[in-house]
Amino acid sequence: MKKKLPLGAIISLILGIIFVLGGCFLLANRFMPEPLWSYNSAYLTDNFLFILFGALAAFIGILLLVYAFSSFKRNNVDNEKMKQHMGMKATSRISNTVIYVLLILISIVWLVPFICIVIQSFRIQPTGMTRYLFENPEAGLKEGLAIKFGFDNYVRLFTQTQFPKWYLNTFIIAIIVAVVQTIIVLCMSYTLSRFRFKLRKPMMQFMLILGMFPGMLSMIILYQVLKDLGLALDNAVPGLILVYVASSGMGYYVSKGFFDTIPKALDEAARIDGATRAQVLYKIILPLSKPIVIYTVLSAFMGPWGDFVFARYISNGRIGAYNVAVGLQSWLATTTMAMENYTMFCAGGVIVAIPIVILFMCLQRYYVEGVTGGAVKG
Amino acid sequence: MASVKLTNVKKVYDNNVVAVHDFNLDIKDKEFVVFVGPSGCGKSTTLRMVAGLEEISGGTVEIDGEVVNDLQPKDRNIAMVFQNYALYPHMSVYDNIAFSLRLQKVPEDVIYNKVTNAAEILGITEYLMRKPRALSGGQRQRVAIGRAMVRDSKVFLMDEPLSNLDAKLRNQMRAEIILLRQKLDTTFIYVTHDQTEAMTLGDRIVIMKDGYIMQVGTPTEVFEMPENLFVAEFIGAPKMNVLRTNLMKAGDKYYVTPFGAKLVVDGEKGDLLKKKQVAGGEVLLGVRPEHIVLADPKDEGAIPVTLEVNEMMGSELHLHVYTEDGTRLIVRIPTIDLTPEQREGMVTGAKLYVTFEGKVMHFFNPETEKNLLF
Repeated sequence: MKKKLPLGAIISLILGIIFVLGGCFLLANRFMPEPLWSYNSAYLTDNFLFILFGALAAFIGILLLVYAFSSFKRNNVDNEKMKQHMGMKATSRISNTVIYVLLILISIVWLVPFICIVIQSFRIQPTGMTRYLFENPEAGLKEGLAIKFGFDNYVRLFTQTQFPKWYLNTFIIAIIVAVVQTIIVLCMSYTLSRFRFKLRKPMMQFMLILGMFPGMLSMIILYQVLKDLGLALDNAVPGLILVYVASSGMGYYVSKGFFDTIPKALDEAARIDGATRAQVLYKIILPLSKPIVIYTVLSAFMGPWGDFVFARYISNGRIGAYNVAVGLQSWLATTTMAMENYTMFCAGGVIVAIPIVILFMCLQRYYVEGVTGGAVKG
Repeated sequence: MASVKLTNVKKVYDNNVVAVHDFNLDIKDKEFVVFVGPSGCGKSTTLRMVAGLEEISGGTVEIDGEVVNDLQPKDRNIAMVFQNYALYPHMSVYDNIAFSLRLQKVPEDVIYNKVTNAAEILGITEYLMRKPRALSGGQRQRVAIGRAMVRDSKVFLMDEPLSNLDAKLRNQMRAEIILLRQKLDTTFIYVTHDQTEAMTLGDRIVIMKDGYIMQVGTPTEVFEMPENLFVAEFIGAPKMNVLRTNLMKAGDKYYVTPFGAKLVVDGEKGDLLKKKQVAGGEVLLGVRPEHIVLADPKDEGAIPVTLEVNEMMGSELHLHVYTEDGTRLIVRIPTIDLTPEQREGMVTGAKLYVTFEGKVMHFFNPETEKNLLF
């Protein structure tokens, strides 16, 4: 019987060695008084990242090595049947390992900026942008350059700035838009999914084509109209609600697709049982479409929550009518301002992210189901 | 409990396909009417027009003397059972049955009584708190029937309620529907493509084809006196044998001459031919498989045939045979009439002699396919 080493084990062995050595190198580099190798970049001089990446690489490398050795050991079991059985398992384990390693790497790349922002939001001094996170390499040379951490940015945010007002603006807009847009989208989808009327198809095609034009095209005329209506500048909040809600009917695709998968016989049974069309929608269809309702609410909430362009030009410099995105950006308008406000900007960003993060943590299961549910039937 | 009257009812779809032409039918109070026909014949469409789920393109539908053309389904006071049950998946069995009552704002204690009562009749009491997906097909169908039962509606509509069930369960549920009908004592309209269901359940059967009514009649009428060839072939299993042959009149007797044999038409059919003074000539002769019998080779009307396939059905044999000119016939013979030797002789290639029973023959016009005696 010929013993064959599994390819996956060999690959993970090699990768493991590379990762461990690389990780150790990065770590060693950090702790040596004289760096073996230095990486010069305008943006990445901080040793924090070296440590982070080095430790992670070493950890992944160790995992890979453990996997490789255990798979060599298993390979020595002299049992043909057993081996075949294990072969299947090993293959799926290899592909799983590869997938997880990739996912971990991607999530690190994704998370690093957020971690940096959170860390910087706690920095009291210096307040501007820096190339380092924890320690100023020049601090030893000059007095007063050492980094200090604390909650000052957050305190300042809520006591000395317009931030609470902006936050409230954004919150009001997002909540109202989420409610109204959800109602409009769900009614629209139900209508297009269940009713047959003249011009239904042409209307859907028209909306599809209309949706291909970027919303920015209407910017100038929209501003004029809203200004004439008195809904721009200081009154930007109701104006913005109008803008976001106005086109919401066009976002019916996902939920219509989902509704289409619910058998029409259910509607018919309910109608014979005495339900009106509206009762059919909220007693039968909506309870069966929970993921899509949550998806609709979330996307309707997030649009205005993070919007910058519309909010910026409709408020047009009236500080009281800003939303968070516009307000925070205004602190970085010039380099001088940025030097002063950058860490506070980071603190603002963290506060803005909190509700979205909480929403997603609670509802991400439904959100994923909602996005993919239309295709596979929920 | 109400009569249903359909007058010149028509259904034309947007693409100008006509699904139902000029449908006229008067359904009496407490009658059980079955619409039967091959798929695409418009039977479901007609039912759905009565239910209000399809728009009526022409004519009127009356329930209890009231024209309901423009009424919403909820205002027609009907109950319906669907082929795929259409149970609400997010509700328990109890809530499913109670749904219509809750919409009518019936007090909860009345709902409780009605639901438990219906559940008891249908034998689903122990499943009341389950969700539909935890039920088997037969149980689901019972829930669907229960949902229709509690409504005390004027008309009970059923759209192929048994076709999703397996054969055994279907027979059982068929018997239960007969019992249910006796208990409910209301007007039923039942749609099926299965002629057995139609024959066993219906007071009257409406046989449809391509949107036209082919015949309306009691099960006995449509079986013994089919109005046309389509009905004759559709009702009865296995299918009626149809041959092109000559009908001759000699003296005051009528004869048919299939495959060179000379068979006399006697009994009721012979009398009817005489009464109608049918001239004779080329006809389509219809003989049901059970009306072909084994004959002695010496008999006058014996037709020699060769056995091709012998299907043993238990109480009877279905013999697929072909004559000398290659025409295929199906013969149905009760097993009890055969001696063991005869049974063993029924193998592929065996030579047999058969003859047709003269008193139960059917004659159709070869062009119009109408029954000559109707």
